[in-house]
Amino acid sequence: MRSAAVASVLVLVAAGCGSKGEATDTGAKTGTLTVGASLSLTGSLAREGTLTKEGYQVCQDVVNKKGGVSVGGKKLTLQIQYQDDTSAPDTAGQLVDQFNDKGVRLILGPYGSATTASTAAVVERNGQVMVDSSGADDSIFTKGYKRTFAVLSPATEYAASMVQALYDLANPRPKTLAFVSADDGFSKTATKGGVDKAKQLGFTVVDTEYVPNGTSDVSAALTKLKGKNPDVILGSAHLAEGVAIVKQSKELGITPSGGFAETVAPPTPDFAQTLGPAANGVLGSTQWTVKTTGKDDWFGTASDYATTFKAAFSGREPEYHGAEATAACLVLVLGVQKAGSTEPDKVRDAIAGLDEQSFFGPLKFAPNGENLTKTMAVVQIQNGKPVAVWPKESAEAAMTWPGTTS
Amino acid sequence: MARDHLMSQFLQATLYGLLQGGVFALVAVGFSLVWGVMNVVNLAHGAFVVAGAYLAFELHSWTGIDPFLSVPVVAVALFALGYLVQRYLVNLVINAPVFITLLLTFGLELVIVNGMIMLFTANYRSIPTGYATTSLALPGDVRLPLGRLIAALLAVGLTLALGYLMRHTRIGLAILATGMDRGAARLMGIKAAHVYALTFGLAVALAGIAGAAVGTIGTFSPADAGRFTLFSFVAAVLGGLGTMSGALYGGLLLGLAEAWGGQLLPGTLVNAVAFAVLVVVLAVRPQGLAGRSFYAARVEV
Repeated sequence: MRSAAVASVLVLVAAGCGSKGEATDTGAKTGTLTVGASLSLTGSLAREGTLTKEGYQVCQDVVNKKGGVSVGGKKLTLQIQYQDDTSAPDTAGQLVDQFNDKGVRLILGPYGSATTASTAAVVERNGQVMVDSSGADDSIFTKGYKRTFAVLSPATEYAASMVQALYDLANPRPKTLAFVSADDGFSKTATKGGVDKAKQLGFTVVDTEYVPNGTSDVSAALTKLKGKNPDVILGSAHLAEGVAIVKQSKELGITPSGGFAETVAPPTPDFAQTLGPAANGVLGSTQWTVKTTGKDDWFGTASDYATTFKAAFSGREPEYHGAEATAACLVLVLGVQKAGSTEPDKVRDAIAGLDEQSFFGPLKFAPNGENLTKTMAVVQIQNGKPVAVWPKESAEAAMTWPGTTS
Repeated sequence: MARDHLMSQFLQATLYGLLQGGVFALVAVGFSLVWGVMNVVNLAHGAFVVAGAYLAFELHSWTGIDPFLSVPVVAVALFALGYLVQRYLVNLVINAPVFITLLLTFGLELVIVNGMIMLFTANYRSIPTGYATTSLALPGDVRLPLGRLIAALLAVGLTLALGYLMRHTRIGLAILATGMDRGAARLMGIKAAHVYALTFGLAVALAGIAGAAVGTIGTFSPADAGRFTLFSFVAAVLGGLGTMSGALYGGLLLGLAEAWGGQLLPGTLVNAVAFAVLVVVLAVRPQGLAGRSFYAARVEV
């Protein structure tokens, strides 16, 4: 026991000894623009953290290939420093604090809402500036922060966009919906947005069941809603729970007549790979598809971006985690260029005033930092691949309905 | 009508809980063995489970062999791994306080998990089979999922086999004897280092088999290692150390508690229910459901 105490004291001392006092101006003298990113490279969100890193990496490569970021007549090389927060929100906050100690004042967001919420508080206190690529929970943006900007649509849109797509495109239109939601802040907010939308559009929500975040066993929730015979089961969950909803429904003989719709799981390649043919027909919502409208000077259109991404990662298709990360990095670059400075206060003001089109859609921020001008897209797994089906103007294929497979 | 439906829901939850409990038991049995015999709380157990899942996954994608049929290969490979780890690593600190073996296995877990992230990436995977998610329809609209049934039967079979091995073979008796009193066992000519390595190898092989099963019926990624260790810990303590069937009882109780708890309470409380059961069992019956107290009084030399 005593050795445990000694060990923890040592760890605390080591953690407290951050290098203070050498706060230089974000590398302006050396011709580099240093940006910090705390990412989940290990731990439970390692998968998504790595996808986010890829998006940042693409941005760095493209920006530097095109000559770098122009600030006051100089061209700065963009250099993103990564730290692994092991998927722990506290650690993410500490790492962003350490970036500040090292003079890194411009931050790209970590992966996920929990880590983003904890880093946003640190960023605000230290006077840094963060562009959030993946923290969608609306609660992050109700605290009056002035220095965190999110490129992505807020959590309330994730399930609501699918409900709208069902309303617009499903024929025959389903009548009853049931929600299975993970119990983390993001998923609960998404569920709430979806339920509200469903009621507004006249659907009957027969059941809303909550399951522990990250669980691979949702059988209790499914058993409870089986008897209520929903036409569509909407999952507001991440990959593990999302896969479990489809797999265990099959095990339990639950066959909703319209099929399944799930927030963030279907657009990731693992979803279709893991489920095989059972994935076909499942709807999902996504921040970005290759059909997203908009264009910018750095990355071109969404399909140009896809080409760039594929070239960088040996032919692999991009999906929205990477795109939203690149978009966040783009916002920072645009902000620095517009401000003509790497000074965090000036960059903040420049970002707050941005109104740009991009490969990711419109980039324009509400006073609370959310990007409300952008809409989400709905995809459906068809032949093992997610294809955009809604909104109609940027669809790749028609929605197959009902979404149940053989 | 409504009553029929509730009945069906209850039966379905019970059946599913029992099968899920079988899976927990399969994951936990090796963990319980190592703890019971060597007094080592193996925090790397879950990492070995995931390693077994990856091995079965790779075998399946190379040769197309069914994951349940690849179980012998996985078991032999992981037995060898476990034997070496114990013989040349854990044995070095086996006489040290339990804190040191905890640290060692914790470190081992980090190394294995991060090694797997490097080797296989952190992607979620599942071993695809045509039958694992299909189910038999029983009367009263109750379904019996095939993959879980096989896993649960495997758990029962392996527990019985392990019990037989321990009671009726020289190796098993040597393991038990060493577990009870290492000093006396040595005096009888048993090589404790070898026996410990055999035990650990056996436990890791069991972890690997569990991995092949959970990889088939669910999803896995390196990050799941901690979750499997936690299940094992709860199941082993619930069931009690010192008997081979302890993990089975513990797993089944855990599965039932989660299934019934999930029906009666909001779904997010499932884990709380499982731990509440653990607290109650420990308060009422500290040695666990099937545990024996003589293990607590063993002589450490």
